[in-house]
Amino acid sequence: MIEFALNYAWLVPLLPVLSFLTIVFLTRPWARLSSAVAIGAMLGSFLLASSLAWGVFTNPAFIEEPLHYSLRWLGMEGFTVNAGILIDPASAMMLFMVSLVALLVQIYSTGYMKGDPHYSLFFAYLSLFAASMLGLVISSNLLQMFIFWELVGLCSYLLIGFYTYKVSAREAAKKAFITTRIGDFGMLLGILFLQIQFNTLDLLELAAVIPNFAQLGVSLGLLTLIAILFFLGPVAKSGQFPLHVWLPDAMEGPTPVSALIHAATMVVAGVYLVGRMLFLFVEVPGSLTVVAFIGAFTALFAATIAVTQREIKRILAYSTVSQLGYMMLALGVGSLSASLFHLWTHAFFKALMFLAAGSVLHALHNKADVWEMGGLIRKMPITGWTFVVGGLAIAGIPPFAGFWSKDEILLVTWEYARHGHALGYLFFAFAALTAFLTAFYIWRLIFLVFFGPEKANDHVHESPLSMTLPLLVLAVLSGVAGLIGTPWTNLWSTWIHFGDAHSGEPAYLLMLLSVVLALAGIGLAFILYCKDQDKQAARSLAKKYPALYNLSYRKYYIDEAYTWFTRKIVDGGAKVIYLFDIYLVDGVVNGLAALTKGSGQGLKYLQTGKLQTYALIFFLAVLVLTVAFNLDSANALAHLGGVK
Amino acid sequence: MKQLQGCADMENSLELIAFFLLAGSLLTGALMVVTLKNLVNSVLSLIVVFFSLAGIFILLNADFLAAVQVLVYAGGVCIMLVFGVMLVQRKDMRESNPVNRRFLIAAPLTGALFLLIGLVAAKSPWVKEAGEVPENTIEHLAPILLRDYVIPFEAVAILLTVALTGVLLLVKEVKDNGRSS
Amino acid sequence: MNIDFSLLITEISLAILGLTVFTLGLILPAKSSQKGLGTFSLCGLLVILALTIASWGNQGETLGGMYLADYFTSFFKILSLTALILVILGSKNYVNSQIENHLEYYSTLIFATLGMIIMFSAGDFITLYLGLELMTISFIVLTSFRRTNGKSLEAGMKYLLLAGLSSAVLLYGLSLVYGAAGTVFIKEIAGNIAQGYFNPLLIVGLAMLIAGFGFKISAAPFHMWAPDVYEGAPTPVTAFLAVGSKAASFAVLIRVFLGAFLEMQEQWTMLIAFLAALSMLIGNLTAFAQTNIKRMLAFSSIAQAGYILVGLVAANEAGIKGVMFYSFIYVFATIGAFTVVSEVYNKTGSDDIADYAGLSQRAPLAAVVLLISMLSMAGIPPLAGFTGKYYLFITVVQDYLWLVYLGLILSMVSVYYYLRVVLVMFRDEPADPAPLKLGSTASLTLWLTLAATLFLGIYPWPLAKLANTVAIAFLAGL
Repeated sequence: MIEFALNYAWLVPLLPVLSFLTIVFLTRPWARLSSAVAIGAMLGSFLLASSLAWGVFTNPAFIEEPLHYSLRWLGMEGFTVNAGILIDPASAMMLFMVSLVALLVQIYSTGYMKGDPHYSLFFAYLSLFAASMLGLVISSNLLQMFIFWELVGLCSYLLIGFYTYKVSAREAAKKAFITTRIGDFGMLLGILFLQIQFNTLDLLELAAVIPNFAQLGVSLGLLTLIAILFFLGPVAKSGQFPLHVWLPDAMEGPTPVSALIHAATMVVAGVYLVGRMLFLFVEVPGSLTVVAFIGAFTALFAATIAVTQREIKRILAYSTVSQLGYMMLALGVGSLSASLFHLWTHAFFKALMFLAAGSVLHALHNKADVWEMGGLIRKMPITGWTFVVGGLAIAGIPPFAGFWSKDEILLVTWEYARHGHALGYLFFAFAALTAFLTAFYIWRLIFLVFFGPEKANDHVHESPLSMTLPLLVLAVLSGVAGLIGTPWTNLWSTWIHFGDAHSGEPAYLLMLLSVVLALAGIGLAFILYCKDQDKQAARSLAKKYPALYNLSYRKYYIDEAYTWFTRKIVDGGAKVIYLFDIYLVDGVVNGLAALTKGSGQGLKYLQTGKLQTYALIFFLAVLVLTVAFNLDSANALAHLGGVK
Repeated sequence: MKQLQGCADMENSLELIAFFLLAGSLLTGALMVVTLKNLVNSVLSLIVVFFSLAGIFILLNADFLAAVQVLVYAGGVCIMLVFGVMLVQRKDMRESNPVNRRFLIAAPLTGALFLLIGLVAAKSPWVKEAGEVPENTIEHLAPILLRDYVIPFEAVAILLTVALTGVLLLVKEVKDNGRSS
Repeated sequence: MNIDFSLLITEISLAILGLTVFTLGLILPAKSSQKGLGTFSLCGLLVILALTIASWGNQGETLGGMYLADYFTSFFKILSLTALILVILGSKNYVNSQIENHLEYYSTLIFATLGMIIMFSAGDFITLYLGLELMTISFIVLTSFRRTNGKSLEAGMKYLLLAGLSSAVLLYGLSLVYGAAGTVFIKEIAGNIAQGYFNPLLIVGLAMLIAGFGFKISAAPFHMWAPDVYEGAPTPVTAFLAVGSKAASFAVLIRVFLGAFLEMQEQWTMLIAFLAALSMLIGNLTAFAQTNIKRMLAFSSIAQAGYILVGLVAANEAGIKGVMFYSFIYVFATIGAFTVVSEVYNKTGSDDIADYAGLSQRAPLAAVVLLISMLSMAGIPPLAGFTGKYYLFITVVQDYLWLVYLGLILSMVSVYYYLRVVLVMFRDEPADPAPLKLGSTASLTLWLTLAATLFLGIYPWPLAKLANTVAIAFLAGL
């Protein structure tokens, strides 16, 4: 089985593709059958992925010598692109995590989406989404990866806009697609540059040649440019400041989709990609600092927004943005291990919290304002307690998963600072402050929604087993997933690392600090939102500092700024071009039509008039072309050795 | 002018004078085609153009081409006249070929193009490779058309078929419209 | 001088087929039996396509270099025939309901294809020009084929006048080149230029050639006719005009500019790059404001012409290869899109984008094909258009990086207006929810184009390799 899984790793993404095709073309009219097909295929993928992961993690040879096979895919004289598969511990981990979360989300969806008219289609999209991500994870080549990257974007577009009747969903889908494409554009340029400069896009080959860039005649400036361009893609995809705006809106999609996007598929793709390309970034220290700075800033920035949001999914969305910032920060300080570790634990507790939030919304019929909820834990014990587990994990209370990974990030940032990077202290401060805020806003959510007095929600009841089962599984994982990376038995960093495996002494002081910060956050939330039944203190705080409150609640007016920018600048530009078209081309014609209308032949002249305009422009172009050519031909004469 | 001098060493100035006359009438005729307000007059000045062109062909010893020019375009001009009179639904024929404001742009534009090409042509050296023109051009035509240039020849045949079917189709259209309206 | 007829097998059989269709149409009495003409042409074309593919290796030139048959022409012959077959297959419904004169319709389509083939197989300017005229006149007739539709007639009229204008300019250019280089044979021109036959008038001629061919490929600023003609012409004709005429003209452009004027490459690449940039700009930016889908596709096809011109800018093996590859995949995307447009028009009588609301519910296949075709044109991976653009733009990265930037930015912009249609199709509720039944042959066409676009996007290697071989052979044969 393990041997098979290793040799046929491409089956992992292929199975969901097949189920996508089957559902779309065959089983679409039968909802239950469609979901069974999707779940069956995903289960197959998961089993393959887990035996593959087992194979990789039991054989240390894979750490140094990744499994790599490829076939020729496209090419021309002088350059070829191979499509292939690259299996190393990092991709094996991702395969396992993505297929597991996707499987759980699909099982959850059988309950959540029950009765939806496009039930089958939803499962088809989910399968394709998972397949794209799995394909991205095992790609051995940047171009191939880019294709899956775009597919992920396309699927997210379809899924975010799944509730077609909601205007906000359509807008969100469009926003997600367009925002991420801005980043993709830069990334594609980066890929092109890499192809030109190094003549390969294969990850392993690039990893081998990029450290010797100076010998290949590539300047450091160019390499920096490539790295920054390349980084744009992950910035957009992983919701980093300033291209994070699409991510909170993406919660307009059905909740299982949000869970999938936020935990396992779309947003972590960026982190994963930067991790994969770390060999490029370490060559240009400036670019790493940029990565770290953007990561740290995003982490704090998003956390401050999450503090005041009212919609349950929006709080979680900003929390995702913030946590992704953590992961980027870890990459920026050069630790692949810590970043992917946090990615791994985050996947479980964030999927858990999203699915639990979905369960709450399901019960409350999509009333999303946390201020209108309360005391739900008595009515929905499984949802409530699993959410609490998630909350403990993200806040960083030992021994839950989030504690270990967050601690690792704090540790590597601290060490980075200690190794002479002055900015490192700033990053560390940002990260620590974020840790405090994270604990605060998540527990604010928990206290408001699950504890306190019950609001008038009579017929609230626990969700069906199909929805609670994934919650339970994820809760267990959120509890224990971090244990493979504790400072005492750090299996994680022996498997997944960049450069030397990290093996520091356990930093007890840091651990203490992080626990204190988490407890302080939880405590503050408890005082403001649980003990204080009327929430007087919280309200008066908001009243006392209206500017700060609004700044946070309105998300620093970033959306408004962008809207203004698109309205005024982009649409304005389009309008100018449109006006040009109308007035310069049509205007001449219309003016003429008005002139001749008196003769009662307006329409005919309109048409013939247009024709003459066309002919005029044609001749004008001929003239310009001839002149341009002749100006140019002066040196042509010289070039061809004069006249005969 | 250089073109003329370089092109063939004309032994007598008579031919030169003939060329100038023909070229002058050609250009004047062409200008009149565009500028005259009455369509019938325009078409008639087109005849002047065609005849002048035939004359230039004769000057170049291309007698067959000159004959074809006259024969073919005589028919063409007749048809244009008929169409001009029939299809232009104007009460007053004197305004059937109006000049509009675009003329103001078009005239300098085409003028500039003309000047440019003329200047370049005047500056250009010409490769003289003109062989002897045979006395009788017609008997050399058949092998050229039916052997050397058989593919273009056949292409022309098909082109004419297509054009004919197209014209028939459009004529049918006019009849239908006439009946329905 | 003997003619090697085996080299002319495609042309001769096309001519015979066209005439047979014509005669059959005249002989067959009842109007109903004329409906079989489409099927008959289709079968004949499939046989000819098979013959053409079978005679792939049969290369040579006949009539003393006036007529060429090499890999390059074979490639474009296959392309034109494939396009024609797909157009006829996809338009049977449309033709049955919108067009009365089947015999003229099918025979003219076949003759137009013959014209294209003669045009890009020509070894000299005379054959080239006559092939071009045969193609153009056929298209003029085809454009005005919807006899009762004012728009169609207007389009035909416009095309007639403007094509006449461009042909005149082209012919003038050809004669100037002849005058300056002393020969009409493309190969000999190259030789003469290399020997130093140089003349400023050659430059003027070259500019006029660019204008004439630029008109045919609808490159800006010679594009003005395209939106009107595309909008008015019967939709299958529009599709064939956008695909066949354009690809054939690109083939001729390569043949002439690389075949005859490679020596003067430095002079014309900059201008071609400029045209490419202008076409991309005007095509993509004007497409935004369109509400009629055919006009929008027309502007998008202007932009596509800009992308393809990029391959010509490179003027090397990779560039030729990119042009060939892109032309071929463009066939599938365009015919897919236009088949949907013609089917929708057939049922709803409208080309307005607004009337595509809820198409995904009324005709899912049509909506998916339109989506995939448009995304392919926008160059979103893993569709064929992405690979095509990649091949094109990578050729000029070194010398014309600004063109690459522009192309990338504009293809990103283009996603916006393509997505507008997609949004209408997939998000909006239809005014009339009744399912829109597609014709069986149209569905087949849609499936074929869909499969081709997906397959060539995911696994472009076979076609790319073929194009590569052809490009190498083409440059070696100069």
